[in-house]
Amino acid sequence: MARVVILGAGISGHTAALILRRKLGPTHEVVVISPNSRWNWIPSNIWVGVGLMSKEDVTFELALVYRRAGIDYRQAKAVELHPEGNADAGSPFVTIEHTSPDRKGEREDLAYDYLVNATGPKLNFAATPGLGPEGHSLSVCTFDHASETAKALKTAIERMRKGETLTFLVGTGHGTCTCEGAAFEYVFNLEFELRNAGVRDSARIVFLTNEAELGDFGVDGLQIRRSGYVVASSTFAESLFVERGVEWILGAHVSRVDAQQVTYETLDGETHTLAFDFAMLLPPFTGVGLRAVDSRGEDITAKLFAPNAFMRVDADYTQKPYEEWLPADWPKTYQSPHYPNIFAVGIAFAPPHALSRPRKTKNGTVIAPAPPRTGMPSGIMGRTAALSIVDMIRKGDKKPTHTASMGDMGAACIASAGAGFWRGSAVSMTMYPVVPDYKRYPGAGRDLRHTVGEIGLAGHWIKRILHHLFIYKARARPGWWMIPE
Amino acid sequence: MHLPTEQQRQAMKPTRWVLFWRRFFPYQLFRFVLINLRMTAMILKSHR
Repeated sequence: MARVVILGAGISGHTAALILRRKLGPTHEVVVISPNSRWNWIPSNIWVGVGLMSKEDVTFELALVYRRAGIDYRQAKAVELHPEGNADAGSPFVTIEHTSPDRKGEREDLAYDYLVNATGPKLNFAATPGLGPEGHSLSVCTFDHASETAKALKTAIERMRKGETLTFLVGTGHGTCTCEGAAFEYVFNLEFELRNAGVRDSARIVFLTNEAELGDFGVDGLQIRRSGYVVASSTFAESLFVERGVEWILGAHVSRVDAQQVTYETLDGETHTLAFDFAMLLPPFTGVGLRAVDSRGEDITAKLFAPNAFMRVDADYTQKPYEEWLPADWPKTYQSPHYPNIFAVGIAFAPPHALSRPRKTKNGTVIAPAPPRTGMPSGIMGRTAALSIVDMIRKGDKKPTHTASMGDMGAACIASAGAGFWRGSAVSMTMYPVVPDYKRYPGAGRDLRHTVGEIGLAGHWIKRILHHLFIYKARARPGWWMIPE
Repeated sequence: MHLPTEQQRQAMKPTRWVLFWRRFFPYQLFRFVLINLRMTAMILKSHR
């Protein structure tokens, strides 16, 4: 009997767990460790953040689903990896710390045959003084954060109805943030809801981003064929911002958030301040800070993890300039190069480099969007690692049998720009591959037949359908496995 | 007189016709089918 332990129950971890459970017979054990008791469809948090959805609409209890699926679930967080075991235990194990109210703080050593690290990110609000719900800005990264943001928005709307004019600031709270798409979605849903509330004329809305161009999205932007031209995504993004009356500030590193004022440095090295009444700023991500220890008790964290605390996998981590970055640098199997029974998927794996061109100010401040590893690519990675582990257990394969490189993987993304069956809209984008490949696709870096984008009502319908479809799948309802990632 | 800002002046702006098609129900139904087909192609391409 083999035991597979999965750390994390986000999109990649949960996908891996369900696939492993379905493909492995009942003689094998699948264990999920997650500090959260609820699964969260994070793409819909933006709708929680404007008050259109509740926590219950975007989450469900993990324990119920795992009990039904036959997956052992512990509400806990992993704190220490022992990939070689220790003097007492010859086999590898992970030390977990329970987070459920009845066992809070209790530690347990859990042996494993295979480990999938899908912990996702640590929301690093501490990187910028004053950033985050415990400081002076709001967030939509978790359903609790999004609920608080919705309350703050409601209060702001009441103030505007009483005659005040307010400044709304939305964007990234640090120069190295990722998930610019979430900030993009939030700013347009905010604008749409202010219009619905009849207070749009009393609001100044500013989008502040670490992207050097609008529409970069951490993937170095897109080139799209339109009306006989190949056009940069920034052209379409700017058009939408102007149409909706949203101002923008590009290439910005937020260095400090005070009560109602943000301080930021731009790519020209100048420092600016901006007063706000409402700020939703996303934090940068780091790994969750797992410690790794070898059989002699020596700390091997730096061997398993990159300095940003994400886990090293089968990527090429050689430092090289932007011009030399290749799709081949990106991992294919997500297997640890040091321990073949450990995989890291989703946000938890260390990317070899960014996708967007990295930039520095004259003061040496790095302003570079980090590469996104969420959504569809994240689910595909979870599936890939799970299928490889199944073959390693059942067929005795020595090497991973499945691959899914972001250099040969596409992505479909629907970015909401306002919710409503008749009046809503969303930007529908597909891109192939995620990592630009200028050798295969000179000029654009991506296949122009498969890299497309458009805005319209249809996009909103799709976003809404995907919300229900993926929650259905995550609940492991009948036929869930037929729904692709 | 309302003068456009530099950001507004330089950006491409949609015409009323473009805005109409973005919400025109029959056309959006057609786009709905097309976008889904595109996404399906992308999913199949990425799940090899």
